[in-house]
Amino acid sequence: MKPPILITIMFTMVAGTTIVLTSSHWLTIWIGFEMNLLAIIPILMKKHNPRATEAATKYFLMQATASMLLMMGIIINLLHSGQWTMSKNTNPMASTMMTIALAMKLGLAPFHFWVPEVTQGIPMSSGLILLTWQKIAPLSILYQISPTINPNLLMPMAIASVLVGGWGGLNQTQLRKILAYSSIAHMGWMAAITPYNPTMMILNLMIYIIMTLTTFMLFMHSSSTTTSSLSQTWNKTPLTTALILALMMSLGGLPPLSGFTPKWMIIQELTKNEMITTPTLLATTALLNLYFYMRLTYATALTMFPSTNNMKMKWQFNTTKKMILLPPLTVLSTLLLPLTPLMSILD
Amino acid sequence: MTTHIVFVLSTIFVVSFVSFSSKPSPIYGGFGLIVAGGIGCGIVSSFGGSFLGLMVFLIYLGGMLVVFGYTAAMATEPYPEAWVSSKAVLAMFITGVLAELLVACYVLEGNEVEVVFKFNGAGDWVIYDTGDSGFFSEEAMGVAALYSYGTWLVIVTGWSLFTGVLVIMEITRGN
Repeated sequence: MKPPILITIMFTMVAGTTIVLTSSHWLTIWIGFEMNLLAIIPILMKKHNPRATEAATKYFLMQATASMLLMMGIIINLLHSGQWTMSKNTNPMASTMMTIALAMKLGLAPFHFWVPEVTQGIPMSSGLILLTWQKIAPLSILYQISPTINPNLLMPMAIASVLVGGWGGLNQTQLRKILAYSSIAHMGWMAAITPYNPTMMILNLMIYIIMTLTTFMLFMHSSSTTTSSLSQTWNKTPLTTALILALMMSLGGLPPLSGFTPKWMIIQELTKNEMITTPTLLATTALLNLYFYMRLTYATALTMFPSTNNMKMKWQFNTTKKMILLPPLTVLSTLLLPLTPLMSILD
Repeated sequence: MTTHIVFVLSTIFVVSFVSFSSKPSPIYGGFGLIVAGGIGCGIVSSFGGSFLGLMVFLIYLGGMLVVFGYTAAMATEPYPEAWVSSKAVLAMFITGVLAELLVACYVLEGNEVEVVFKFNGAGDWVIYDTGDSGFFSEEAMGVAALYSYGTWLVIVTGWSLFTGVLVIMEITRGN
């Protein structure tokens, strides 16, 4: 894509999300969603092959349907409350439609089927934008309507998302599909805490974005898209191997690393609201996620798979790939746990 | 003008939507779009918005739909599916029309339908009062407000349309 066009498209994508984040009028929020959707389609189709076209089409159809549902919810809200601002969406039908529309945009179960297929059909860098930047706008609207969301609707979707994200990722060897199922599971965690303490949802989103950004960049650096090519990173850049180990443990939510902070905070907030079964269920099914992260770690850092001799000389060449911001991001995604007492400023 | 004109027009509106939602080939679907556009203009005009109704005819039908019609004619297939030539399309069309006739009869009988909001039958749509805007038509005031208070909206909408064209050119580039 020629640079001026790429700049325009990227600007529109960022502008769409910014308009969603900063609007008080429901119509401009909807316009922001549509601008974002329109602008990301050519980014998904950077390589013009039929797989990318199919992925872009699936993404477009799902998101357009969700936007239509959101518009219906907005109009029903207008009919019953008489105004276009965010403050009073107390009509249950409007609130339900908006929640379902936002769940479709995020890829929460049972609307999760598009996430692995779209992520698999697009290049790694497009998948990066899809799984991190595109989650910000719907989650900000979920944050703003969180007082009036029906928890009986959102909690089953959240629990189902964590389950689907865990079980779906178990049989995958393609890295993009693994990251897609990981995204579904993390969205489930975020949706679970939204009716009770939306601030923790923002915390989870921030840490999830940092970790996923780092993961994608490490995978892009070693140009690996499958587990078997990831198992050759010990030969390309041995340092990346160690970083992938730490990062996968952090994504799985293991304690001394920063991925544990959002899970800990979410379980704490849920138990403060006298829910016992839900956080137990969430924590237990997050183990499924941990299993396939561990499998990636095992293949990458803990084992050397047999390979032919001509695959053993890549370390001799200098890398020319640019790794923007990779060191700070890696530090942020693994070492933030001691800063958890800082969360008290959020009260 | 009868008080039920809006009700009749909206029933035909829904039927024309059904006619292209039952997925015939795009050339035939375009016909449904034309009818829907014309009826929409009628509905908007019967609420006093004569300017916007004629805008629909001029810009939507006469600009965008003409372009759609020509591109559909360029991309046509050798054996297009009409409504009667394919059993699937015919079945979907009949289902949609039956559902709409059911709702229409329900409204005409009971004079009130409550699905999501209370729809008080056809009489709900007659304009009884003129609002307090005095001698100015509300619709012309709305269009004027778009260019004075709604400048940001015009900028955003214009940018979105420009981006739409850019995106379509990028996607269909092919190399």
